[in-house]
Amino acid sequence: MREVVRREFNRYYSGLEAEELRVPEMPKREFAFLQFGGEVMIRHMKFNDPASLKGYIVENTPAHIYHSSAYYKTPDAVDMNEKGWQSADLVFDVDSDHIRTVCKEKHDRWRCMECGREGLGFPPESCPNCSMKKIDTRTWICEDCLEAAKKEVIKVIDEYLIPDFGIGGSDFDVFFSGHRGYHIHVRSESVRALSGDGRREIADYVRGIGLDVRSHGFRDVKNEILVGPDMKDGGWRGRIARAVYEFVNRSSFVELKEVVAPNVAKNLSENKEKFLKNIASDPPYWGGLKGYTLESLEKIALASIKDLVCNIDERVTIDSKRLIRCPNSLHGKSALKTLRVGYSNIDDFDPLKEAVAFRRGSIRVYVKEAPRVRIGDDELGPLDDKTLEVPLALGLYLICRGAAEPR
Amino acid sequence: MSLMLTKEDLAKYPFLKESATFVESLQLDLSDLATEEYSCVLMKALARIRNGIDRTAKPVDLSDPETEILAYPLSLAFVYGSKSNWLLNRFATVEAKRVEEELRREPEGKLVEIAELGFAWDIQQENLKLEWEELSFSMPVHAYLEAATGFNDTHWKLINRYVKGGRVFLNSGSLSRLISEGFKMKIIRRGAERELADFRLPEALRRHLDEIMKYAQRNAQYDEKLPQGLVSDARPPCIVAIMEDVKAGKSLSHMARFALTTFMVNVGEGVDEVLKLFGNVADFDEGKARYQIEHIAGMIGSKTKYKPPKCDVLRSFGLCVGMNESCRNAKHPLNYYRRELKRMSRFGGQVDARGRKKRV
Repeated sequence: MREVVRREFNRYYSGLEAEELRVPEMPKREFAFLQFGGEVMIRHMKFNDPASLKGYIVENTPAHIYHSSAYYKTPDAVDMNEKGWQSADLVFDVDSDHIRTVCKEKHDRWRCMECGREGLGFPPESCPNCSMKKIDTRTWICEDCLEAAKKEVIKVIDEYLIPDFGIGGSDFDVFFSGHRGYHIHVRSESVRALSGDGRREIADYVRGIGLDVRSHGFRDVKNEILVGPDMKDGGWRGRIARAVYEFVNRSSFVELKEVVAPNVAKNLSENKEKFLKNIASDPPYWGGLKGYTLESLEKIALASIKDLVCNIDERVTIDSKRLIRCPNSLHGKSALKTLRVGYSNIDDFDPLKEAVAFRRGSIRVYVKEAPRVRIGDDELGPLDDKTLEVPLALGLYLICRGAAEPR
Repeated sequence: MSLMLTKEDLAKYPFLKESATFVESLQLDLSDLATEEYSCVLMKALARIRNGIDRTAKPVDLSDPETEILAYPLSLAFVYGSKSNWLLNRFATVEAKRVEEELRREPEGKLVEIAELGFAWDIQQENLKLEWEELSFSMPVHAYLEAATGFNDTHWKLINRYVKGGRVFLNSGSLSRLISEGFKMKIIRRGAERELADFRLPEALRRHLDEIMKYAQRNAQYDEKLPQGLVSDARPPCIVAIMEDVKAGKSLSHMARFALTTFMVNVGEGVDEVLKLFGNVADFDEGKARYQIEHIAGMIGSKTKYKPPKCDVLRSFGLCVGMNESCRNAKHPLNYYRRELKRMSRFGGQVDARGRKKRV
């Protein structure tokens, strides 16, 4: 089974222009590979140019190809302490697996490895039956999950990187990972020297971790006379103000009651217009409602920012020595390409179409079980226990996912 | 030298490269400072270290700035030569405190210059008026994070700052605090550098170092070492929670395992004790676990003994179960543990080697 995938991967790499494998500042990066069926990563490799990288890849045809986010003095030193870490790109990883989408009910399953309990959709943190945390999952992706991941990427960039961190369009690249999500690589000089602690602060910043509402201008001047931030303020300060405005504006009495005490919710919903007008005025005025305190305002603020925080895999951002996928390399679990996405065109980017590496040919496969799957313009499923001829990209995708075998 | 900086400034702010240049221009070596001619420098240096031990941040003596300028590198030589992390931390903390107090008296323009000359931070003067405060400075996010990650209070977290266009906006109090923290980190980081590992004080100065260490033992709670073995009552809540999960046989995240193992190894538990602890976990594999614990304990592999992640990291990974009163002053689970041990020995009795309280 692996042989056919390996053969096709080899054909893809042989036909690839070496230049397409170029990584910025290649001689300073560590390269790593995972072979088909291999469990041990081949690490500590160094390539000075795309042609030598291509030569190695064509000769060995790995299933996964990575390079370090870090820049090293000696990237091929085996001991991490000897590598001479100089700096590293700041990476954000958005993985559709971590985002709760409705479509997961259709294509994802989980199973408790302890008691055998099974379910559909987003896996629980611990088994609802035996409360063990060992949960096995069988997940798929579809257009909807990848769209949700894309929205998160846009949120990270438009709401945080550009306005708050001042990172411009030429300072970052967005990549479709080739499978479940996207990576953002920030390469500007200012972020490259960040320590792990500094990176963690940035991850916490976009994830809304550790937010202290009172640090953003809310003050109880006198009983029920509250001052607070202006919607025009920068950073989280203005973000909180705008979020509260939108939240109160769209919430009914019942929804507000879930966040604050019933009397406050009642007051707030009855005087909604006045409240909104007050916090939108210059300077903003946050008080004047009976029973409404700094504590209730804090609760509203925390409830209102829920949709504004980013769903990223913080481990990737914090790590200053991460291995990340090489551009235009193939993902061994999907046979799709890791592809750079032009940020100005991201709205129209269709990963399941544009990251297809095998555009011609077909393959005969036996499908054990698969939900509805689309690769390129070709769709199939849900189906099980069937042998059929499918377009090559779709067939390789199913084989890589472990759902089909070549026939 | 910059127009605005005087010799008094160099005495107050020894991290300025102009201070180092001044010292270098005198072409002295450490042994010279042990001679009679420089006895007043030696006295000042020793007094400065004693201030560190006593936790008193006294201003430098501006009536004789040149002596103070020279006393600083000499006091550093004693601190590095002592090979004591305890003394290094104390000295750096008090020096930073002293600098912060000096900075708070400086005009705004001078703060900008000191940050630029000391740390190459690009500080700009701003005029951002908010509802009830004024933020008069801004600095790049990365420069802010260089120093601010050393702080524990939530208001220092980047998310709780006014951040816009790649810059963090601050008032002068915050900027003074950041500069002094930058100074503290400079002292501590330098102490960890390889070239200092072999540094030994000249023989003529060793006698004074012995006196300093005696002074430390007499006048402060000099506690470089932890007692061997876990003292259950001193565990921080995060470690208690992980241990309860272990007891319940729940499978743990990688970070939870790492935190627990490093904690146990650092409080002096042996590999077998740590192994016993994990025996309950759903997917336990003894061979693999032993290898990993030995690796973390620095017995095999890179020979580095790993420390548990600090509170901020545990928080990011969702392992902080909420602060209790004692957590407020701790940045690190081991820090918490040490303080609790100290508190317990003060109130309830002494702690014996196996960690049980002894009645006194």
